[in-house]
Amino acid sequence: MTTIFEPVAEQEEFAEARGHLHGRKDASWLRRMMPVVMSHRAMFFTAVIGSFVALVVQVQIPYVIGRAIDRSLVAKVTPLGGYIVIIAALGAGRWILNLTSRTLLLKTAYRIEYDLRTIIYQHLTRLSFSFFDRVQSGELMARSNSDVRSVQMFLATAPVILAQCAVAVVVFVQMLFVSPALALVAMSTMPLIAVFGVQVRKRLFPISWLEQSLLAQVATAADENINGIRVVKGFAAEGQQVRRMYSVARRARWVVVQDANIRARWSPFLENLPRLAQALLLLVGGWMAYDGSVSVGTLVTFNAYILMLQPPFRQLGLLLMIGQRAKASAQRIFAIVDTEPEIRDRPGSIDLIDCRGELEFDNVTFGYRRDTNVLEGFSLHLRPGETIALVGRSGSGKSTVGRLLARFYDVDEGTVRVDGVDVRRVTVASLRHHVGLVLDEPFLFSMSIRDNIAFGRPDASLADVIAAATAAEADGFVRELEHGYDTIVGERGYTLSGGQRQRIAIARTLLVDPPILVLDDATSAIDAHIEQLIHGALKEAMKNRTTIIIGHRVSTIRLADRVAVLDGGRIVATGTHTELLATEPLYGEILAAVLAEGPLGENDIEDAP
Amino acid sequence: MIGGASSGGGVWGPAGLGGGSMSGGGSVKATADGKGFAEVPAELHDGVAKILALEPEWEEPELKFSHQPADRRPLTVTRMLSMRRLAIIGMLLVLVVETASLQAGPYLIQVGLDRGVLGHDRSVLITAGVASFVAVIVTVLVSALRGAWTGRIAARAMFRLRLRVFAHLQRLSMDYYTNEKAGVILTRMMSDIQALQTLLQDGYAQFFMQFLTLLVVGGVLVHYNVELALITLVLVVPALVALSAWFRSASDRGYLSVRNAVAAVLGDLSETLQGIRVVAAYNRQKQNVIHHRNVVGEYRQANDYTARIAGIYAPTTEFIGLVGQVLILLIGGAMVRRGDLSVGVLTAFVLYIGAFFQPVQQLVQTYNMYQGGKAAMVKLRELLDTDPTVGEGVDAYDLPQVAGEIVFEDVTFGYDPSRPVLHHVDLRLRAGETVAFVGPTGAGKSTIAKLVPRFYDPTQGRVLIDGHDLRDVRLKSLRRQLGVVPQEPFLFAGSIRDNVKFARPTAGDDEVQEAIDLVGLRELVDSLPDGLDTAVHERGVSLSAGERQLIALARTFVARPRVLVLDEATSNLDLMSERKVEAALDRILEGRTAIIVAHRLTTAMRADRVIVIDEGRVVEDGTHADLLQANGPYATMFKIWAEHSLDNSAYRD
Ligand SMILES: Nc1ncnc2c1ncn2[C@@H]1O[C@H](COP(=O)(O)OP(=O)(O)O)[C@@H](O)[C@H]1O
Ligand SMILES: Nc1ncnc2c1ncn2[C@@H]1O[C@H](COP(=O)(O)OP(=O)(O)O)[C@@H](O)[C@H]1O
Ligand SMILES: [Mg+2]
Ligand SMILES: [Mg+2]
Repeated sequence: MTTIFEPVAEQEEFAEARGHLHGRKDASWLRRMMPVVMSHRAMFFTAVIGSFVALVVQVQIPYVIGRAIDRSLVAKVTPLGGYIVIIAALGAGRWILNLTSRTLLLKTAYRIEYDLRTIIYQHLTRLSFSFFDRVQSGELMARSNSDVRSVQMFLATAPVILAQCAVAVVVFVQMLFVSPALALVAMSTMPLIAVFGVQVRKRLFPISWLEQSLLAQVATAADENINGIRVVKGFAAEGQQVRRMYSVARRARWVVVQDANIRARWSPFLENLPRLAQALLLLVGGWMAYDGSVSVGTLVTFNAYILMLQPPFRQLGLLLMIGQRAKASAQRIFAIVDTEPEIRDRPGSIDLIDCRGELEFDNVTFGYRRDTNVLEGFSLHLRPGETIALVGRSGSGKSTVGRLLARFYDVDEGTVRVDGVDVRRVTVASLRHHVGLVLDEPFLFSMSIRDNIAFGRPDASLADVIAAATAAEADGFVRELEHGYDTIVGERGYTLSGGQRQRIAIARTLLVDPPILVLDDATSAIDAHIEQLIHGALKEAMKNRTTIIIGHRVSTIRLADRVAVLDGGRIVATGTHTELLATEPLYGEILAAVLAEGPLGENDIEDAP
Repeated sequence: MIGGASSGGGVWGPAGLGGGSMSGGGSVKATADGKGFAEVPAELHDGVAKILALEPEWEEPELKFSHQPADRRPLTVTRMLSMRRLAIIGMLLVLVVETASLQAGPYLIQVGLDRGVLGHDRSVLITAGVASFVAVIVTVLVSALRGAWTGRIAARAMFRLRLRVFAHLQRLSMDYYTNEKAGVILTRMMSDIQALQTLLQDGYAQFFMQFLTLLVVGGVLVHYNVELALITLVLVVPALVALSAWFRSASDRGYLSVRNAVAAVLGDLSETLQGIRVVAAYNRQKQNVIHHRNVVGEYRQANDYTARIAGIYAPTTEFIGLVGQVLILLIGGAMVRRGDLSVGVLTAFVLYIGAFFQPVQQLVQTYNMYQGGKAAMVKLRELLDTDPTVGEGVDAYDLPQVAGEIVFEDVTFGYDPSRPVLHHVDLRLRAGETVAFVGPTGAGKSTIAKLVPRFYDPTQGRVLIDGHDLRDVRLKSLRRQLGVVPQEPFLFAGSIRDNVKFARPTAGDDEVQEAIDLVGLRELVDSLPDGLDTAVHERGVSLSAGERQLIALARTFVARPRVLVLDEATSNLDLMSERKVEAALDRILEGRTAIIVAHRLTTAMRADRVIVIDEGRVVEDGTHADLLQANGPYATMFKIWAEHSLDNSAYRD
């Protein structure tokens, strides 16, 4: 029943992938991909079998042509017409078969790509914050894009290439029937493929791996520059960045040249093996025809057969290459899907409903890194409807408290409870539905302001959106924008001023109307006047809500019933603002006492701790 | 990733330790990382090591960046290749030889069969056989030569293009980066250039050879028997041309929609990843998954369309080819019976017509390459033709060391010129003065702060520093003397040290340590097991908002700017940390000009001067005391702020 906590406003036009990647982790990568491939088995096998049959049909054509030349032109024993009809029929058959099987095969490939992309995306959205704290988004982009493509390419082309190679066997058998000696001559160069296989493994794999990784370095360098352009420009560091790009790009150039060299050495060799066989056939076969032990028509047939072997040969090299690449890509994809979300519904967890908003942090210990704890023995209790201000120095762990409450991370020790229930025992969606967070960095998506505000309730009506915006004092400036609520904000919302973004972020949370509210430095970029107006609305909004306010301004703190001072990972004091000022020296330091002395002199700093 | 090194041996490397870090030392580091391949799959270790052993020692690049593009000519393939005429002729020659030796096979077979076997001449047979061996060997050698050569040409051209595009991106102004999605810009640098590389490396050569093959085969057919050749070509070629014309227009259309669809997929993915924390906080997973499915589904549909086209084109050309063969058999058969044609020639005809159709078949692939390359070319040309809105004139001069007097002369500015954000702003900030800018959000304070380092140019009026119009001086000489700390600090993936040293990579360790002390990060750094070498995750998300601001401040302190612009640079700090920063500022700012935007009016109280901005206009200007006395907007603002921000009890004691 979690769905009610995850409203969806978009029509689902494309179905969920039927396959999955949950196969045994120690299984081979192909095996693990099978459920995805097999979920399209009807299409897939029709395509593969179709192209196989088409190839078998195709093999017959040179044979018939050879017979036609022998029997009706050289020997003149049968009329040509019959052969022509057979050839035309075979050709038409091949045409129809290829027409359907090629289209189907490509479509299967695109279905596989769709499945992989959506499976990875879905998995990514369920992964925990700790995962995204470790892994760069550029890396994830690459894995869900180029890696998916290389797997898709292999899965779709390999069966056909293999079918072609299987046809080589059919061809060989057919040749054996016609003339065993010539068949051996025609196939005599095949064992040399092994030489190529060894070279591929020894040289081509490493070089193409290197090439990929250097390109990834180029991408990283470019990506960081694009995202950090404000800093690069601000410090006029363009030259430095161009030199950095130069250093990476010239290594990439070097590797591309090496790659081309190695490829140039080996792939013409592989591709020309059938031609070598053709030359042999001319010598040996010609000799035999000269002696009359084989017919000219047979030679023509054999030549056509060898010509037919050409594409599978060219493809075989390709197959080895993309096979290796696909394997590496698949492993990178599995690395994503095998990462279990650390935060997920435990078996038997229940939905949090009719939340009263009682909060309790009970002796909580937590650290992002194993060796340092941010919170240590942190305890705090909030009655339903109570508003508490959390005060502490920068980096003391205030935002962390909010993150633990919404279960973005799990505590290492202790318990966080909502309405007396451990947050790990309720479903994540229902918990987050009841906990509204205004994050300390107001990230907006490059969509319309209306969609940004309705982010948590995409099905909200415009009237609701406007009401939320009005409460967050955003309505005024939004209306002044060129397209009002339909204005699209730029990348990350950067076409709005900092304070405007924060107001949109507040509206976004107010619209969800959560019984528990965490305002994490939510008004830091907003001036006192507007803040006061927002506070007016918030006071109204906070009446029946349990609220944690994080902030440094007295005006913000004043909204709270109680203030808790966070230091050294735990609450060192709680009380009203006035009480704390009198009793807790740290509080005064963090907050307000300095004001009593008016503007600072340099001396104050010397004795600050 | 070579550099995405994972010291823990796990699949995921720690954030951004590799991939080269962003500092000036980045190049050295990238090389070092590249040679220590932590993530190389075990089975490739030896191979990779062997290749890397061959890598030359690279020298430190001595590259100068200029805001003037060195090459303003539009991008074309010939310019990109920049081959000398002799080389082009050589390459064409190689391609001709390769095509000829490839097509010699069927010819030699025909000679061998006709004149050798049927004509009962063993020596001809042997000569033809040996000649076809030689032809194969020549093909292998020439193909190898061609492959290595085109590889080298393409690699060089791409290297130059990559640097040119990257340098141009560095020149483009802020508005470009606000309006264009980051993912799209990255596409220019990566997949577009990649598409061009494929086109240069394989596409053109293949295209040319396929064309040549058609000519050669056509020529050979005519040479064998004019009548038969003409009949076949007349019957077959029109069908082929019509089919190819259809394929071309249909696949152009398909390609365009695939391109747009994939851009949408990547854009959606990239934005989700950037905002993944917000997605989780608002329970948006389900909605986003469905949205993504729809976007990927559109992409699948676009692809399905191209699948149908390719699925029709290749088998149909195959079929037309077969029809050609049948026709040859019919007509040629009749000619053989009449004795006008030898069986050997007929055989060669049948074989050659197959060779005629092979290049047409391959056209699907080549044409895709061509389309990709062409689209990439258009996009890259567009990018290179985009002039920075904030450019540097050719006669720009280096700004001498400034005292720091900043003047806004009747400045009107709008991000969209028709909707001004600043109206007729006149300001004169004296050298060495600390000026606080206050005013409601959206008033235009940050905009003013962005005009000083010339991130944007005024629509009207001018901004002067020490009497120099900003538009007349070199950007580097200007920005090197300014230190801008924006509201939301951006940190690079890399170590804390690299981030602090960003503006001046040559800064010594003692300077970094001093900056860390000054901003009050000592405690944090000491508590981290790796100290200054602790990795910062992309954008600094592994730090608290306040810590990020402090590092951005430290970075600016290390830069030792003459003029400091702080745009709400301490808004996420607690007052104690802010005090510490302000004390440090007092020390640093001696004799330097500072523009400080802040909502906490303590800052205003401490500044030499306060300027109140409202709705893009300067509404008040004076010292804190003067403005309080004047009882204008500032006094009102201060009253509200004091009432709400200062506890009366605290203020009174
Ligand atoms: N994602 C993260 N990974 C590692 N460390 C983190 C992460 N987020 C925060 N920290 C560290 O935890 C401490 C507390 O951070 P935070 O709760 O954001 O502080 P604040 O009280 O300023 O809100 C800081 O020292 C910060 O560096
Ligand atoms: N990149 C941009 N593109 C378009 N409009 C912008 C951009 N940046 C800011 N604005 C608009 O300009 C006005 C002033 O913004 P700003 O200078 O950031 O205000 P503040 O005084 O809060 O710093 C705001 O209305 C904002 O929406
Ligand atoms: Mg915080
Ligand atoms: Mg601002």
